[in-house]
Amino acid sequence: MRTGGLTLKIFLLIVLNDIGDTVAQLLMKKGLLHTGIGDITPGNFTEFVAGNAASPLVWAGMAIFILNFFIWIVVLSRVDLSIAMPVGSTSYIFVPLAAMFFLHEAVSPLRWAGIILIAVGIHFVSQSKKPGEGKAPA
Amino acid sequence: MIKVLVFVIISEIWTAIGQVLFKKSVNSLGVHSLRGIRNQKRFLKNVLTHPSIWMGLSCMVAGMLVWLMALAQGDLSLVYSAGSIQYVMILFLAHYLLGEKIDRMKFIGTFLVFFGIILITIS
Repeated sequence: MRTGGLTLKIFLLIVLNDIGDTVAQLLMKKGLLHTGIGDITPGNFTEFVAGNAASPLVWAGMAIFILNFFIWIVVLSRVDLSIAMPVGSTSYIFVPLAAMFFLHEAVSPLRWAGIILIAVGIHFVSQSKKPGEGKAPA
Repeated sequence: MIKVLVFVIISEIWTAIGQVLFKKSVNSLGVHSLRGIRNQKRFLKNVLTHPSIWMGLSCMVAGMLVWLMALAQGDLSLVYSAGSIQYVMILFLAHYLLGEKIDRMKFIGTFLVFFGIILITIS
């Protein structure tokens, strides 16, 4: 299957996908915080499940997550994974930023260093040669 | 901390198996053009009647549920970043189960991801 280059429309779809992922994770975490269970044990497991099954935030997060899956498939049908993945890996930066601003989580410099390594690593993975491709483009 | 990571790893194992099952099933369908509504309809019908796709989806759902348990017990910035362990798992699963080649770029990238996760967990 031949896929084309990155157009503005596809770029915006990828950004939308990143934002969707960030919002989904944020909503799920926010919903989970509401139940107040920070340590799941066999004793409070039923309470955990019941509390979250009734949480609109958790459901909203999961709905956006599933919707995002379809946006991603549309993106992949239009551009190569080597183009989509680096733009998509920015969610590894977006999510901790959102966690800092909206959930007041503390992200240490060492954790940021780890996050940046992950994003760079994903970039490398996505630039690897495709099967049947003679030479990777420079 | 260790408990959160165990939940993340269990969740990502399910997700990774789901991905491999997806890839295995679309591989077995053969490469067809996806241009045009007729080809797309045929592809969708083949995919939805494929048992491995449904097995893969079930794995994804299981992964999602364990993900919520991880997310409940750890900071979002930790759980989300640690979730990138999936790249490491997929590299090996794709190699051993799907016969995909690991080239130098993929190996370096996956190593960087792994090193990043170590930094996150000791922070």
